[in-house]
Amino acid sequence: MSFAARLGLDHSRDPKRQASQRPVRAMQGAVTPPLQSMTKLVPEVEAERRRIREAFDAGASARETLGALCALADGAIRQVFAELQSVRNTETQGLSLMALGGYGRQLLFPYSDLDILILSAGDKVERDFRPLLAEFSKTLWDLGFRVSSAGRTLEECKRIEQDNAEFHLALLDRRFLTGDRELFERFDVKVLPGPERQARPFLTAEIRKLTRERLARYGNTIFHLEPNVKESPGGLRDYQAAAWLRQVSGEKREFWNSTATEEEMASGAVDFLSAIRCFLHYSNERNDNTLTYELQAKAAERTLGLPRTALLDAPRSAADWMRVYFRQARTLNRQLLRYMEQKTLVQQSLRQRIFNVARLPKIESVEGQPFAIRDGLIELLDQTALADRAVLYSLFATAAKTGVPLSREAERTIAYVLLHPELPVRNEQVTWPAFQEILGTDFPGVALRPMQRLGLLTKILPEFAAIDSLVVRDFYHRYTVDEHTLRTIEHLQELAQPPDARGTNYAGLWKSVDRRDLLILSLLLHDVGKGMLIENHVAGSLQALDSAAAELKLSADEKAEVQFLIERHLEMSATVQRRDIFDPTTISAFASMVRTPEKLQRLCLLTYADIHAVNPEALTPWKAEMLWQLFVATSNHFSRTLDRDRLHALDELPVLQQVRKLTGAAGTESIERFLEGFPRRYLAVHSAEDIAGHFGLYQRLDAAPVQIDLVATQHAYSLTLLTADRPALFATIAGVLAGWGMNIHQADAFANAAGVILDTFTFTDLHRTLELNPSEVDRFCKSLVDVVCGHAPLEPLIKGRLAASRQRPPKVEVPTRITFDDTSSMHSTLLEIVTQDHPGLLHEIGSALARLGCNIEVALVDTEGQKAIDVFYLTSQGKKLAAQKQETLRELLQGTLG
Amino acid sequence: MIKLEAIIQPSRFESVKDALCEIGIEGMTVTEVRGHGRQKGHTEVYRGREYTVDLLPKIKLELVLPDKMVDKAVDTILKTAKTGKIGDGKIFLTRVDDAIRIRNEERGENALQ
Repeated sequence: MSFAARLGLDHSRDPKRQASQRPVRAMQGAVTPPLQSMTKLVPEVEAERRRIREAFDAGASARETLGALCALADGAIRQVFAELQSVRNTETQGLSLMALGGYGRQLLFPYSDLDILILSAGDKVERDFRPLLAEFSKTLWDLGFRVSSAGRTLEECKRIEQDNAEFHLALLDRRFLTGDRELFERFDVKVLPGPERQARPFLTAEIRKLTRERLARYGNTIFHLEPNVKESPGGLRDYQAAAWLRQVSGEKREFWNSTATEEEMASGAVDFLSAIRCFLHYSNERNDNTLTYELQAKAAERTLGLPRTALLDAPRSAADWMRVYFRQARTLNRQLLRYMEQKTLVQQSLRQRIFNVARLPKIESVEGQPFAIRDGLIELLDQTALADRAVLYSLFATAAKTGVPLSREAERTIAYVLLHPELPVRNEQVTWPAFQEILGTDFPGVALRPMQRLGLLTKILPEFAAIDSLVVRDFYHRYTVDEHTLRTIEHLQELAQPPDARGTNYAGLWKSVDRRDLLILSLLLHDVGKGMLIENHVAGSLQALDSAAAELKLSADEKAEVQFLIERHLEMSATVQRRDIFDPTTISAFASMVRTPEKLQRLCLLTYADIHAVNPEALTPWKAEMLWQLFVATSNHFSRTLDRDRLHALDELPVLQQVRKLTGAAGTESIERFLEGFPRRYLAVHSAEDIAGHFGLYQRLDAAPVQIDLVATQHAYSLTLLTADRPALFATIAGVLAGWGMNIHQADAFANAAGVILDTFTFTDLHRTLELNPSEVDRFCKSLVDVVCGHAPLEPLIKGRLAASRQRPPKVEVPTRITFDDTSSMHSTLLEIVTQDHPGLLHEIGSALARLGCNIEVALVDTEGQKAIDVFYLTSQGKKLAAQKQETLRELLQGTLG
Repeated sequence: MIKLEAIIQPSRFESVKDALCEIGIEGMTVTEVRGHGRQKGHTEVYRGREYTVDLLPKIKLELVLPDKMVDKAVDTILKTAKTGKIGDGKIFLTRVDDAIRIRNEERGENALQ
């Protein structure tokens, strides 16, 4: 919006306004110069403009260019005004002209408007001078200046125009041009300072509001592929807004508190961006500030904006030159955001200060850490503690866990500490478990964003540097590659509370997805190949994974999972767009590629985030729905086809060899016998190490008929039980776990061809029995074996426990839904139960199945909050369940589960 | 001039677009749409929740063509969009009175090039 438009000036009344839209040369022929000197002045101004441009093209700095343009405008204004006065024989008493805004600051860009305020002592003066001012404005337009003027009387300037903050902000940069100097000085020193002081809270609030709106229009990021060097975040407007905030704070040093280095960096950034803006104006021959791809290449070619001393090493490629641009933009944006975060920019009265003491923000300290949460931001309490990098990363882990961002001041302190390590640095090397503490949380983006700004992300993942501020031209992406990457992660964390309907379906998936750390690591690396000299960026990203995995010491399984996600990160999107997702063949082929439901969940979230981060419109509701349909259909395909695809051990030679190597077995025959007939999912969800462990249990079956392996993981326990099949086995194990107060989250039950059952349960110890009493672990295992073998009864164990747990009302009501499916499996009837989770649930279901003589061929048990989702493949006497039996079972389960 | 509107399966879009380019038709408007004809909706149950797609996802292509190109374009779309199953879509043809290029105000078939 032009200054005049902002001020509410109606140019349609200005007869020259429309004519002025035409090129100056055409106008010269059409309009008779009103002044005699115009015939001389027009070519002089033209020549001076040409000279300034040539000097700029020859390497003059932006400051020199802007200063020269400003001097040219000042000179022309003074001359025209003086000549009009002499022609009309008038005095200038009571009338003063001043420059405002950028022109007032003497930063006049080649095609910028001249913002001028015409100040008159009173209404009469204003009326008297009206004809002269009309002529004045018209003459300047004829000289090729884009005049944007506003008129006010002295009296009018005493009032703050609440609906016109831009005018008051422009006034902050006022500068006398011509006319009655005494009037200007009265205005500048006596009239305006009072209202301006009173208006500081209003102006501060307005600067913040206008800035927030502007930054939001550009997605709150500096990393646009074709940025607007004036308006985008990191553009010159950021510098201006920061300068205004300083001015309205009364230039109180404690409020802005910048070091000399920071001031110097900001000044350098302004010079750099000013040079670009000049270049854009000259290249486009209009006030267009968009740094297009084409102009990026031209600017890089002439190493625009770089100091002459640096030209030898200056980047010549557009991508490298844009990295310099983003570095400078980041300086200005960082400064502005820090000022925006300052709470007390305006001096407060004693009364206000006393009143505000009662409302001081609450400080929550983080136990044992040198930082605290204040007013929704993490603040540093002791910067010396950051010498221990473990402390520094725990600060980021806290941000990622809580979703509370670092304050700009804390970030600034960290930047300082990283650059000036006054104390010996400890724990510099970041381990994979420490990085997982950040990646595997609810809000990883809250930590990764400042880590990227501070250069810490590239310390952990040097491969990420390849895409730092990288512009890759294409039609769809709006942001640089690193910005796109960080946005993918932020779009996932938004799913905690989806901002719009597109994310609703995916929210539950994000909540329950396993191994978020690997998903986020995959996202960080998925486009790194775009910054490498390699044709296929996916191949480049996989190379980056190789080095990152070695450096971070990822396990083979972890690396394989990340490799899968990177390698296939475009596959789901391509399937949605290029295949008929309602065709079962498409789903089957897609499921074969994905292999497991767990991989599917991660791939789906990655695809959702990847499309979403391309640009704000890329993930249309249509695409979000298609993606979800593909996910649901594939997920259902997995659970409905589990027993269709059985393992034939001889087809799995690499696995056989791996397990043989790990177990030291002499041959593979016994391993073949063990694996033969398990559902293929068994191989997909277990590593060779897991299988070797299971085989070890299998070999010990001769010594004891029930083999148990109990492992404590970070938040839960994992139980593997191997035994020969027996009636009600699943119900019995579930019953023992419930009797001991364990809450089962996941379970798998598989059988091989020889009838050996391998059940795995993941459960949490609700009462911390095993954790607080290590001796109870043995008693727990013995109890399980005794009950399974029939040496001890189950009933006394579960009696009181289940009754007590049933009395607690659920937080969320989940209606029970029981579905039978006879079509998906050739051998079994599928039973899917969705119901309210509660301790002992699996025991209840398993008991009901056992009572009706149903054999569990395969079981998949999962929970989502308080919802249990269980799928059982059932047979009765080796056949599918008859319709009558299904009905009886439904009634029995409905009666049990409610 | 004829306006051609084709509702096709999303999975056929890339092939149709490429085939139209091959016969010299490069300008088109593409919209992601939902709808159904005889191919009714589709329901999936996931984790106890029913996801019903009453209106199936489709792609709508809109092209305005000189009369002489219409048959060729229709044939091309028929060949590339057809899978033989219900839900392959439809083509609609309507006559257009005039076309105007906004940039230079050219009219008629000249504005289509």
